[in-house]
Amino acid sequence: MKKKLLSLIKIAGFLVVLGLCVFGAMVIVRRNDSDYKYKPFFGQAKEGNIDVLFMGSSHVINGLDPVTLYKDYGYTAYNMGGHGSVMQATYWELIEALDYCTPKWVVVDAYMLEKNYQYLDEMDETASESDKKASIDQFHLNMDVWPLNKLKIAAVKDLIHDKDVQKEFLFDFSVYHSRWNELTKDDYDTLMGKENVTSRFGSEMRKEVEMSPTLFPDPAEGQELAEHTVGAEYLMKIIDECQRRGIGVVVTYLPFCATTDDKMAANSAGTIAARYSVPYLNMLNLGIIDIDCDLNDPGHLNITGAVKVTDYLGKWLMENGDLTDHRGDAAFEKFNECVSLASRENVDFLLGQTNFYDDLEMLSLDDVSAVVYLNQGSGSFSDDEVKKLVSNIAGSDKIYNVSGPYILIKDLGDGKTIQGGSNVTVYEAGDSESLDGIATGLGTMVYQPVEQLFRFLYPKEDESINYLYDDDHIYDDIQIIIYDSESGEILGRKYYKSYGCEYKED
Amino acid sequence: MQFTSFGFLAFLLVVAGVNHVVPRKYRYIWLLLVSMAFYVSIDAKYALILVLSILSTYAAGLAIGKSKNPDQNVQERKDNLKNEGVHGSFLVNVVFISCIVLNACMIFGFKLAGFLVPNSILAPIGISFYGLKAISYLVDVKRGDIKAEKNLIAYALYVSFFTQIVAGPIERAGNMISQFYFPVNTDYYRLQDGALEIIWGFFLKLVMADRMGIFVDAVYGSSATGTITFLATIFYSFEIYCDFCGYSHIAVGAARLLGIDVMKNFDSPYLSGSIAEFWHRWHISLSMWLRDYIYIPLGGNRKGTARKFFNIIITFLVSGIWHGMGVTFLIWGLLHALFQIVGSLLKPARDYLVKLLGIKRDSFAHRAVKVVFTFMLVNFAWIFFRATDLNMALDIIAKSVKVTPWVLTDGSLFMYGLDGANMLVLLLGIILVLAVDLTSCRGVNIREKIIDMNLVIRWMIIIPAILIILLCGIWGGNYDAASFIYQQF
Repeated sequence: MKKKLLSLIKIAGFLVVLGLCVFGAMVIVRRNDSDYKYKPFFGQAKEGNIDVLFMGSSHVINGLDPVTLYKDYGYTAYNMGGHGSVMQATYWELIEALDYCTPKWVVVDAYMLEKNYQYLDEMDETASESDKKASIDQFHLNMDVWPLNKLKIAAVKDLIHDKDVQKEFLFDFSVYHSRWNELTKDDYDTLMGKENVTSRFGSEMRKEVEMSPTLFPDPAEGQELAEHTVGAEYLMKIIDECQRRGIGVVVTYLPFCATTDDKMAANSAGTIAARYSVPYLNMLNLGIIDIDCDLNDPGHLNITGAVKVTDYLGKWLMENGDLTDHRGDAAFEKFNECVSLASRENVDFLLGQTNFYDDLEMLSLDDVSAVVYLNQGSGSFSDDEVKKLVSNIAGSDKIYNVSGPYILIKDLGDGKTIQGGSNVTVYEAGDSESLDGIATGLGTMVYQPVEQLFRFLYPKEDESINYLYDDDHIYDDIQIIIYDSESGEILGRKYYKSYGCEYKED
Repeated sequence: MQFTSFGFLAFLLVVAGVNHVVPRKYRYIWLLLVSMAFYVSIDAKYALILVLSILSTYAAGLAIGKSKNPDQNVQERKDNLKNEGVHGSFLVNVVFISCIVLNACMIFGFKLAGFLVPNSILAPIGISFYGLKAISYLVDVKRGDIKAEKNLIAYALYVSFFTQIVAGPIERAGNMISQFYFPVNTDYYRLQDGALEIIWGFFLKLVMADRMGIFVDAVYGSSATGTITFLATIFYSFEIYCDFCGYSHIAVGAARLLGIDVMKNFDSPYLSGSIAEFWHRWHISLSMWLRDYIYIPLGGNRKGTARKFFNIIITFLVSGIWHGMGVTFLIWGLLHALFQIVGSLLKPARDYLVKLLGIKRDSFAHRAVKVVFTFMLVNFAWIFFRATDLNMALDIIAKSVKVTPWVLTDGSLFMYGLDGANMLVLLLGIILVLAVDLTSCRGVNIREKIIDMNLVIRWMIIIPAILIILLCGIWGGNYDAASFIYQQF
């Protein structure tokens, strides 16, 4: 009997140790993408810090930025958008989220309203195997973070047809154990509780510029989708659910290079919104973005586009949302930290990347001060894209009217933003114009063009400095100086040489 | 329910748990119930075929048994049989032959139908294995080696025992039925022993066989040529070994948890020094079956060299057909027969050469050369076994002979489904498999050694082993829980 008992104790001990080891292995190999995007949601939801939920696809992830919304309006939001999320996936994401919080507003984007299939693992007859695989993969991003409970089971059963694939979502170790050969330090850090999570409350800002956006014909006035789709059905369910819970709903259609079908879907979304008497913001034709500057690719906004769209939505919420500005409230310190962090990340990206167009795009944000100098004869003066981007930074059309040289100084002053904007000052000079005595973080600056290979930019406080002259870069026709306007510290210098409309960093 | 599924593990745990508390004398009833449930869960459609096989051989066994004098012991009955020859009672012979033919027809009929109408007729799962068990029982009763089993439940369990029904081992009634009546209680030692055997089986199947299968399938399905193809043939040799041996370890380990000892089915086959030795070490239960019920009844090696060679050819042709009706299986069987015949014919010349060169037969180098040569012959024959048709086999052979060693270093090796890390796992795994086989050859039972170790060290071996299987095993996700290769036979 004693021997049996001892054996039982050993077996129990073995199972406990084995269980712990297996649990540890599960934590390490688990793909962290879903946790990265959604984990902070739980903390904010618990604190009751979420005024608005952004729901939708990658258009929402890239197009609506909670950090910008807070920075410019003081409203708190979480971006629950999912890559590839069709309306039914968005519906279940919302239902899961509402289990943890009750926001005042839900902003739901109607992109992919035209999708008329129920199951993500089957899609429609046009879908290839790789499409289906991608669809399942993307759904993991939406679902993995939610704990296994009746709600999750219901969601998976509703969206996934194949029972084996359903099991993947309910027991994700069956998929992720095969990550053993791609583990990084971050994966092991998870075991120590050091999780890498988003600092943008679920949004992801893209930072490239789409150089050749495509325009598609408009459908006939008011033309809608020919059939009532599964997507439309789930949009109605989303609105129903929000109205049942007393949550305000705004239906949107965020801007991108919409096809004719997309435009018809946007019209259908408007009709559904009208049927439920909820506001609808079809941003395709509102002129919010500059299609030549604000797209990362034909389907997604870049960071400047996202800022514009978010500010538009913020303004709408300010006028209609009855929301409280939380800026200055100590309870929302986390949001202030994230605003600073996002700004630092933007500056780091700007300093680290080598694409001239992307530099100009990033400089249009109010994260850092900079001098942009385009020398006489530079190919950039014949590049419409550059002119648009520079004009976007300057907020003027001066660049269009000069033949070179051209200088733009964007100074953030003390760097502190004011509600609804910032105390940014922009100075420009073109051709033979000079600047004299302009107050910047670098000092009281003087700019004076002399000849093609020589010009002055110096602070009156120390005239021995010439920021625009460098023996090593004498033939580079484009120069960008990035500086901290508070300390006057030069954060980075970038030189480009133009070859027509091609730019090579030197 | 695949052996490598969590469902099977849960099933096994429940069965073993209940089995432990059921009184010993009733355990076989419980085991029959769960065996039938297991079979229905994997092939409900053909459960009737299993029942037919059981009932027909059970009834025929009783009829044959009745014709014997129950008071005679086994030796006396054998002597009587010798005196009777095969004549005995005419009716009993008719029953015996009819039943053998019925079961053989069921085995080969489904195979033939599946061959003639591919993808439409599937043979009942395990019929090749339980069919041979049923036939061997009947022959043993007829020969007087064992008494006819009167207890239908015990006999039905012998044929349908769930750990063996899918792919063997093809046990003999004489070894199994007595254990059903007197099963051993599963103590702590036996539990560890069975669990370790199952773990090793899972490792062989999930970590090794299915990983190699990815590479082999990718290469065979591509236009790859040269060393890559040659490597794929080597991998296939290890794949089929790890696959079938893995299955057998799970089957043996699972049976051990239930208090039943099942015969060993593999004994380091790739360390064989000759083809004849290979067949003493590979799929031992089938080899013994073919020896006892085909080769020896044909005369074995008792009727001269020519007849011996003829018997070898017939035996291996039957083995080939048992594996499948395709011409590739016939060639595979024939090759093994020819290897043995040629080896036998060349023995005087080989002996002369060994003497002339002063080679020490017991030297490591001599043994190593024999092992490698035997492996290469077996490897060559596996090409026909794996190929879907003769053209494919010839194509693979033609591609394999091209020498392109640079593919091992220029990255080409990693373009067939396995990256560097996976290849490393395979390499280490193959070394481990060979090391375990080598120690096993020397009479060392590694499981016993592990069980005898200090608890902490034991856990430090077992827990990482389980983690390796869970992490590096090919399972879950989009993995099609690949059935064991031998299940299809």
